Amino acid sequence: MDLTQATESEERLLIEAAQKDPSRFGELYEQHFHRVYAYVARRVRDRAEVQDLTAQVFHRALANLGKFKWRGSPFAAWLYRIAANAIADQAKQKLRESTDQSNPSSHSSTATDLEIVERRARLFGAVDKLPEDQRRVILMRFAEEKNIREIAGELGRSEGAVKQLQFRALENLRNRLNEK
Amino acid sequence: MSERSIIDQLDDAVAALTEGRQPDLTNVGSELSALVEVAQDLVGLPREAFRTELQQQLTRRDSMSSAAPQPETNPVRSMSIYICVANASAAIDFYRAAFGAKELWRLVEPGGKIGHAEVQIGNTSFMLSDEYPDYNTLSPETIGGSSVKLHLDVADVDAFAEHAIKAGATLVRPIADQFYGDRSGQLADPFGYTWIVSTHIKDVPVEEMQKELDKWAQEEAAQSSSEDGYVKEPRLRRENRHAVTPYLTVRQPAELIDFVTQAFGAIEHFRTTGPAGGMHAEVSIGDSVVMIGGAEHIEPKPAAIHLYVPDVDQAYERALQAGAKSLMPVQDQPYGERSGGVEDVHGNRWYIATPFVPLQTIAQDLHTVTVYFHPIGAQRFIDFVSNAFGGKELMRHAEDEMIMHAKVQIGDSVIELGEARYPTQPLPTAIYLYVNDVDTMYEHALKAGGTAMQPPADQVYGDRTAWIKDPFDNVWYVAAPVAKR
Repeated sequence: MDLTQATESEERLLIEAAQKDPSRFGELYEQHFHRVYAYVARRVRDRAEVQDLTAQVFHRALANLGKFKWRGSPFAAWLYRIAANAIADQAKQKLRESTDQSNPSSHSSTATDLEIVERRARLFGAVDKLPEDQRRVILMRFAEEKNIREIAGELGRSEGAVKQLQFRALENLRNRLNEK
Repeated sequence: MSERSIIDQLDDAVAALTEGRQPDLTNVGSELSALVEVAQDLVGLPREAFRTELQQQLTRRDSMSSAAPQPETNPVRSMSIYICVANASAAIDFYRAAFGAKELWRLVEPGGKIGHAEVQIGNTSFMLSDEYPDYNTLSPETIGGSSVKLHLDVADVDAFAEHAIKAGATLVRPIADQFYGDRSGQLADPFGYTWIVSTHIKDVPVEEMQKELDKWAQEEAAQSSSEDGYVKEPRLRRENRHAVTPYLTVRQPAELIDFVTQAFGAIEHFRTTGPAGGMHAEVSIGDSVVMIGGAEHIEPKPAAIHLYVPDVDQAYERALQAGAKSLMPVQDQPYGERSGGVEDVHGNRWYIATPFVPLQTIAQDLHTVTVYFHPIGAQRFIDFVSNAFGGKELMRHAEDEMIMHAKVQIGDSVIELGEARYPTQPLPTAIYLYVNDVDTMYEHALKAGGTAMQPPADQVYGDRTAWIKDPFDNVWYVAAPVAKR
């Protein structure tokens, strides 16, 4: 399901279902994973930390799902708040643990900031919809951080072919983003 | 403007971005810079394995009640499936095409052998590898089957199964509504695993399911008891079918099933709709399977059956009660049996008999249901089944060179025949013939004088079949299970 496509009433149903039966949380997770990840990644650089914080956000959300009340603001906003708190908590912890005096980045989110996060989440979601060979190249290149030679070896294709797939994939992604 | 192609230039920029450098965008066209912008946003793309594992953590049962601490100090965190297949790379391709699987990652040996791979179907990932006999990692093909079945919950099981079959899966149990509230069936993949596919239709309380199961167990027990006088036999499975299985093709197959049930205590195993739009059903009578099929628009092909039963008088009476007409009243015969004959309304002739000696002492492989042929030219018929299917004549009784009665062994079955004469006129029929090698048998049958109706082909119901018409107008469906041919 596209990140941006769930209507308010659909989302409401998903939340109510998950509140009754936590094993249904998977659908909410699918809908919001890229958002939360992109939100965290905008503030934290290190991949391991981004993963750790993203996991924390969803675990906290699941634990507190019963407390979520529908007041007209989207579920994503609730998740962003949890994410902001988790990032702040971790930054405080780091400050205590180290002598690093660098100022933790501001946790309040501006409108443009959230637009950037949403745009990136949409891009991550669009990767899922690429043709399979293009999707694999993009995942290996950007998520697994492999170079063209490694990817070519693993896929059993020439480096030229992999570069071509990368090019087509980025073209597709750009077109998809421009559709919105 | 650089001479490098735009594809190479883009890759240079991507390489810079993923290494944390700023790409050189001087002298770059707007087309390329737009793509670099997209690439910039992709840096730090989440890993699929992370996304999947987190989802599994979140939807696992024990993480639901985060308030309640685990009683154990070292609880299991998750359980996954790890399967071994004879060709992991081909299996991944198949799972992708048939079930919409996504490959997460793989570890490959220099020779291309997959040491480990992870694949996701729906919200679950599983692991698989090629065979490593030294480590006792063996595939179903090597072991000869798997006792583990995999289960897929899908939105529309009928459409899903149809798609999977097109991709190469084999339907081993038809899709049907089940008592436990699912609509489901079973598919075999080409690598030896069985996949149960289902769509949940309605919630059924466990007590009700148990009741249904009890009912089924009772029926099962009743059917396998000797109520109808037949030898106690478990239900025959596909593997246990005899080589020669009659295929009674009639215009009203449902009514024929009712008839054989009432008259001979047949047990229906299943019925479904065949590729030609007719019914296909399988029943067993005593130790034999009989296929019943057809439809209004399909040319009927009734058969003559020598039906060996424990109590011929009872079976004959029941057959008449069920609507058959008498061909010959029950009487003791000089050739060693008490028998009578009936013809059902669909045109099948049933020569019902109780031999004076145990059936297997007449011929080792004589079964309850034995097909009886009435060819014009019995000797030529024997020659044909010998050359085509490796038939072996067991006995004959001839008068003035006319074969009155003969028995021919084919595989683990015996067929019987007698020269067509009044009142036993030719009755060309259809026979399902299980063999080891369809293609070879087909060649032999054509050489022996058979006519090709359909060359060997794999069928969606799991058999490889070829159709041959013999010179006596009998149709032989030569078949072998696809996986075992």
